Amino acid sequence: MINFQTRASRWLDKRIPEARRFSLNLNNVFIFPSRFGLLFLFLCLGLFLLGTNYQNNLMILLCYFLVSLFLLNLFTAYLNFAKLTFQLGKTQNGFAKSTIQLPIWIEHHVKGANNAHGKLHLGFWRKPPATTVDLDAYANPVYLTLPCAKRGKLSLPRVTISSYYPLGLFRCWTHLAFASDILIYPTPEPCHLKLEQKQTDEGNQSDHHTAPGHDDFDSLSAYRQGEPLHHVAWKQFAKGQGMITKHFADNVQSSGWLKLKPSSTEHTERQLSELCFNIIELTRTGQIFGLDLVVTKIAPNSGVAHQQICLEALARYPGSKEATKT
Amino acid sequence: MIASAQNHAYLLLTVTLLIVSFSLVEPVMAWILILVVCACVMRVALYLQLHKHAPSVRTLNLLALLSGIVLAYYSVQLGILLGMVNLLVMACALKLMLLRSQKDFYQLVTSCGFLIGCGFIFQQGILFSALYLCLIGLLLISMAFNISPNRPVANLLKHTGTMGLQAIPITLLLFLVLPQIGPLWQMPSGKRSETGLSEKVTPGDIAKLSQSSELAFRATFKDSIPTAQQRYWRALVLEQFDGASWQVSEQRKATRRQYWQFAKEFAPDVSGPYFTYDVIAQPTHQTWVYAIDVAIPQGVSSNQKIWQSQDYQLISTSPLVSSFQYSVRSYPQSQLNQSLYSLDSRINLQLPSLGNPKTQEWVKQLRQTFPKDEDLIAAVMDYFTENQFVYTLQPELMPNDPVDTFLFEQRAGFCSHYASAMAYALRLAGIPARMVAGYQGGELHPDNYLSVYQYDAHAWVEAWSDDTGWRRYDPTSTVAPNRIEYGLRAAVGDENFLLDSPFSLARFSTVPWLNKLRLALANMDYQWTKWVLGFDRNKQQDLIKALIGKLTPQRLALFGLGVFTVICLLLVLFYLPIWRNPKRDKLAQVYHQAEKQFAQIGLSRNERLGPVEFAQQVKHSTHQALHQPFDRLTRLFVASKYAPANNHHEKHTLAKMKQELQEIKKALKHHQHAQPS
Repeated sequence: MINFQTRASRWLDKRIPEARRFSLNLNNVFIFPSRFGLLFLFLCLGLFLLGTNYQNNLMILLCYFLVSLFLLNLFTAYLNFAKLTFQLGKTQNGFAKSTIQLPIWIEHHVKGANNAHGKLHLGFWRKPPATTVDLDAYANPVYLTLPCAKRGKLSLPRVTISSYYPLGLFRCWTHLAFASDILIYPTPEPCHLKLEQKQTDEGNQSDHHTAPGHDDFDSLSAYRQGEPLHHVAWKQFAKGQGMITKHFADNVQSSGWLKLKPSSTEHTERQLSELCFNIIELTRTGQIFGLDLVVTKIAPNSGVAHQQICLEALARYPGSKEATKT
Repeated sequence: MIASAQNHAYLLLTVTLLIVSFSLVEPVMAWILILVVCACVMRVALYLQLHKHAPSVRTLNLLALLSGIVLAYYSVQLGILLGMVNLLVMACALKLMLLRSQKDFYQLVTSCGFLIGCGFIFQQGILFSALYLCLIGLLLISMAFNISPNRPVANLLKHTGTMGLQAIPITLLLFLVLPQIGPLWQMPSGKRSETGLSEKVTPGDIAKLSQSSELAFRATFKDSIPTAQQRYWRALVLEQFDGASWQVSEQRKATRRQYWQFAKEFAPDVSGPYFTYDVIAQPTHQTWVYAIDVAIPQGVSSNQKIWQSQDYQLISTSPLVSSFQYSVRSYPQSQLNQSLYSLDSRINLQLPSLGNPKTQEWVKQLRQTFPKDEDLIAAVMDYFTENQFVYTLQPELMPNDPVDTFLFEQRAGFCSHYASAMAYALRLAGIPARMVAGYQGGELHPDNYLSVYQYDAHAWVEAWSDDTGWRRYDPTSTVAPNRIEYGLRAAVGDENFLLDSPFSLARFSTVPWLNKLRLALANMDYQWTKWVLGFDRNKQQDLIKALIGKLTPQRLALFGLGVFTVICLLLVLFYLPIWRNPKRDKLAQVYHQAEKQFAQIGLSRNERLGPVEFAQQVKHSTHQALHQPFDRLTRLFVASKYAPANNHHEKHTLAKMKQELQEIKKALKHHQHAQPS
């Protein structure tokens, strides 16, 4: 069975190679009678037997009519389905054990001409369809939710799109492999912050310094022209101590390093998860930190962009060096 | 949104099921129809959101169980075919109540399709066929709605209709060409239909039949047509009398079975002038078929389908479940004296042991007066005329000693009373006699065919004479000569004709336009029966022969290939891209033509340029005679493109634009002539 599945997926890789955008055509559309189609054929067979045994031409005519309709449906179904183009929209990275949203844009090859109709079922390969879209009333993009199990570069499963238009007798479907560069970060694992000072630190220099901010009350000083009025300490003013301004500050910690200590794989994964939590937490509190993953080092910095770089490094660990240039 | 719209599909399916069930009102039992109505009312209530919840599965299972038990109780009485049809309708009704998932929907659609097919077992008329075609259409629309619930209705109807129309030529090709094969196995047959003869005739039964204007059969004559007096269509020979009713003799049946086993078919010698005709009989679910004496089946297929019995009765080898066509040649002057006398006389002298004492007494006296058989028969016939017997459609009930009551008290009856009384009297006198049931008469149509209706049902007497064998005596003809000469209507009078069906068109045949309408309908039905229902293997072979000449294997193979190609071509034609692209704008076409003119002199419009800008460009680079008409043309084009649509206006603009185009062409020619010099 597994052998068959891998062979099928290898065959699919050859037939429908990865791309960002797919226009459906003879190469990537599959078509086969649906379960109802088979039932319908069974009905035709029943009518034929009944018509023959009762020598009833009307029943035979009805049977042939239904068979012709079945035949016509094959073409109609294909032509309708092959009008469509699918494109993967802008994606975002996600965390392991959570889900990501894949935006899929549905368009027509020829704009303005007769559009495709009918319901469209979208889902992942070998999974039951997750979403149903009515092509006569829909809004782009259509989101597919993908659960991410593992950290690392996400290999997007093939997206299966199927349609039963026009009468439900045939199922037209395709398995599209969308090219993507989605990274899955480790699951953030809550823990103590583990910011380590650099080994090369000279002395026990307390690197505690502040940067102006809004979060914490820092100090008081005499009011100067131009300072915001809502920072004035009105209590003191009321006591007759003159205009005094409150100063607030964001607590910016000294630059430290988040370090990965290589050990068993299981433990490494846990460490990566904890590092992930650290990175998010440190960025949230606006601290400067560097990341040392043994194979890659990211210089201390702060901010959302830095966080992303760090998280990507975690996701790629122990990826090649060229992927984590900073 | 989708859920509520899906209801359209469900509602259409509901309507289809309702109509198809009620078109089967004859075979389907009333309580099942009530079940169908309940299910439909429920569906409609759900659709209109009068009610929000369908009954639970448990309730429905209980209902299904109950219905199943009731149906099982009736099943013995119904027989296999009717039982199955009833079961199918019942299952559909229950499924309709249950209808929730796609799977339910698809199963119900398939069942409905099959039910429509089954409808053709019971109804094959042109009107019913049209109705069933409409129902199939409804079913398809329902299926389409199920897949594209939000598609505009007009668009959906158009597309489904187109698909249906496209399927028709392929259907006809398949029907004409795919070989018609014989029945693969014997199917269960339904009960005798309400109307028609039966194997047991109690005087009075045929009087009931005379109230029906349903068609019994049609006979198309090759050349000469029998006169009214000759149109005695034998269907059944009834030789067993129990004092009240006549039926097919058990002994006769046993003899038939024996002959059948030894494949010894009765083949009477015939001579004299004959009529050749094709009969298309309506389905009766019985085996007897109709012919004028003495009939010999003509052609291979008719000979295969029909068996001749010793009593000159034609019997089909399988029940007439759909319209049944056969060819016969009748020799009216041949004598019916070739059957085995010993057997015939043994069967036909059988008498009930009790009853009708007055008749017995009367016949004894007659026998004494008339020792010769012919005289006695004539005396019996005379008895009817001399005693003012009345021919009536509403005879009194005669429960005790019916022959006595009829002969000596009531003196009024229908043909079967006369035939029964006379045959009984002759048997009492020691003359082998029997009753023959069949039809007498028929309505002649211009295409040389006779339509025989149920009200033409008749019964007469056959008595054995040593010289000529079986001879036909029709006591009715002496009482009501009009019956034989002009048909039932003349015999009973307009006011009594088809009294039970006051709106039957046949009743109004004295109103000229109604009669014309009735005849036109009858003719349409005839053509339908002849060409559609009656298209059988022979006709198919004739058709293919007419198309390709001799039926050699190579030719047949080529023919098959040809038909396959035609179907493929049809498909290609249906799906050619031109049908799919919307028609190009005519105005734009003219504009593009004008553009092309300028391309000849190296001026082509950059795609980014609009028509107005292009006109400017042309103005700068050509002379007046060229750019002025183009300028006007552009302005017309732009104005009509951006103005609100007006069909009449557009035509006008188009004409003007064409004019300008001509001018451009002219100027261009001039220009090119000028260029070299």
